[in-house]
Amino acid sequence: MTLELNKLTAQVQAMGQELASRRREYADLVTLARGWLTEYADQGERLRRSEAASVRAAIPTGEPFDIPHPLPAIPERFTFIAADGSQIQPDRHGAALYYLINVGSLVYRRGSGETPEAKSEPALGYTEANLYESGRLVTGNLLDVRRDLAEITRLADLCAAEPSGPTVAVVDGTLLLWVLEERSAEWQHAKVMTYLDQLNRIRESGAAVAAFTSRPRRAEVTQLLHLASLGGDAGRASQETNPLKRLPDRAVFEMLPPGARSAIFISPSSINHEYYQPAGHAVHFFYLNLAAEERDPVIARVESPAWVVEDADHLALVHASIVAQARIAGGYPYALARADELAFIGGSEREAFEEMVTTSLLRASVRPALSPKAYYKSLTRQGRRRHRV
Amino acid sequence: MSEGNLRVGRVLRASSRGFVVGCRVMTPDIPVFGSFVRAEGLSPGSEIYGLIYDVSVEDDPFVRQFIGADPPDEIVKDQRENRQIPIEVSVLAVGARQCLDGDGETMRHCLPPQPPVTLDWLYQCSDEQVRAFTARFDYFRLVLEARDAPADELLATSLRAAAAARPKHEREAFLVEAGRELARLLAGDPVRLEGLLRQLRSEETE
Repeated sequence: MTLELNKLTAQVQAMGQELASRRREYADLVTLARGWLTEYADQGERLRRSEAASVRAAIPTGEPFDIPHPLPAIPERFTFIAADGSQIQPDRHGAALYYLINVGSLVYRRGSGETPEAKSEPALGYTEANLYESGRLVTGNLLDVRRDLAEITRLADLCAAEPSGPTVAVVDGTLLLWVLEERSAEWQHAKVMTYLDQLNRIRESGAAVAAFTSRPRRAEVTQLLHLASLGGDAGRASQETNPLKRLPDRAVFEMLPPGARSAIFISPSSINHEYYQPAGHAVHFFYLNLAAEERDPVIARVESPAWVVEDADHLALVHASIVAQARIAGGYPYALARADELAFIGGSEREAFEEMVTTSLLRASVRPALSPKAYYKSLTRQGRRRHRV
Repeated sequence: MSEGNLRVGRVLRASSRGFVVGCRVMTPDIPVFGSFVRAEGLSPGSEIYGLIYDVSVEDDPFVRQFIGADPPDEIVKDQRENRQIPIEVSVLAVGARQCLDGDGETMRHCLPPQPPVTLDWLYQCSDEQVRAFTARFDYFRLVLEARDAPADELLATSLRAAAAARPKHEREAFLVEAGRELARLLAGDPVRLEGLLRQLRSEETE
């Protein structure tokens, strides 16, 4: 064993004490934040005119900040479509250079009595054209973008194939495509527009779309409260330290009754402002308590485009269907959990796939060879041997 | 009762004493405790006969989430039909059919010379195959001495299956004959014999 646990004992104890003390500090901050939430509840219109986005503060809509919106009636029948992806990054130490994206999806028709449709679709990138973009190897953020595009495309395909009826399409995480700002504007534009094209297809299909984040860590509403406490002065808000800086929004909304959602806000992300909003897909969000009655709060963040939240039926469907799905297994939408399971590439599957690659190379008369680093890792990471007693 | 080519599943692991088969879903017919099943042997035309003595359904942490939750039908179907539920069927080897050098063949009630190999198909025996196999009772000894299987229950259930594979007017005589063989084998263990005969009698009256 390389990790010497005995050397960590004191550090782990200190960590426990630190977390306990942080929790006490949190309680005070939560009290302050909820006080501000009530105090500035009706100042949405004024704050909207301030430069909230410039200080990464949530942009208010017309809804008062502190009013919970109770769980709407859960429809007897609706379709809940979830997609999730996973990937194998290109490994320059491996036998061959490739990447793999696997997208899992589940179409769950509540109240139909039908078996949900489960699908897993892998795609391998191995040609030079696939592996490089502007001379850069498709890895890290570049591959994440391809995976996100594959997920939303799968959702759009499934929505297009679904008969008419109340339908919600959901991805895990966010609807905002995370593109690194260091990339060129043309590249960012092309990628985001491809994503928005898929949102258009979902919209045309008549389905609603949402992104779900479990245990969110964003602090955009708390930043808005800081801005409100400074009279909406974005200049001061950017200069002065926010006392709620380390408090995630979800801590503020743990007061939501079971099944209720918070007010709706608009994401302050620059991509949202530059690309999504002009295309009619401005990403809005709210927090949602998924817990059943008399249970501890389980707060999730839900994002949806403007055309979903501005349509009362769509909004109620997103709200009710996510709560219904999350209550099946406790705190996380069932269909998303299954999509993740269908997408996940386990260690044994990865090994089997690497063997397939090696065999294929040998058949093509290519002698596969690991880099010396990968070779020695394969020797040292298979478990250290012990002397027999 | 069955057509003889009804597949139970594929062999996962095997030894001379028995083997374990994996299958995805249970149907009302297969796999059933006490059923006669067969797998192809390694030599051409040979077959290994066995009795299903255990059917186990493995769980996983995801399934456990729903135990107290009264899941809707869609979830139950998803878990049963889409997720790979590893149902394992354990089989006790009780005999082998081998082709003779000439055209004939012989059925022997003994451990097979070689076990089936991984991914071989396991089939449910047809009524004709069950009747042919149970024309003699030499396999009783293998069942009674089985260490891992619930031997008495297994033998009684398999005899019920063997009786059902015969015409109605032959069933009682078949079970009486089987009882006589058991009395001979278990002469030194009257308590066990009584229990087994009681099970057979209850089957006769059913």
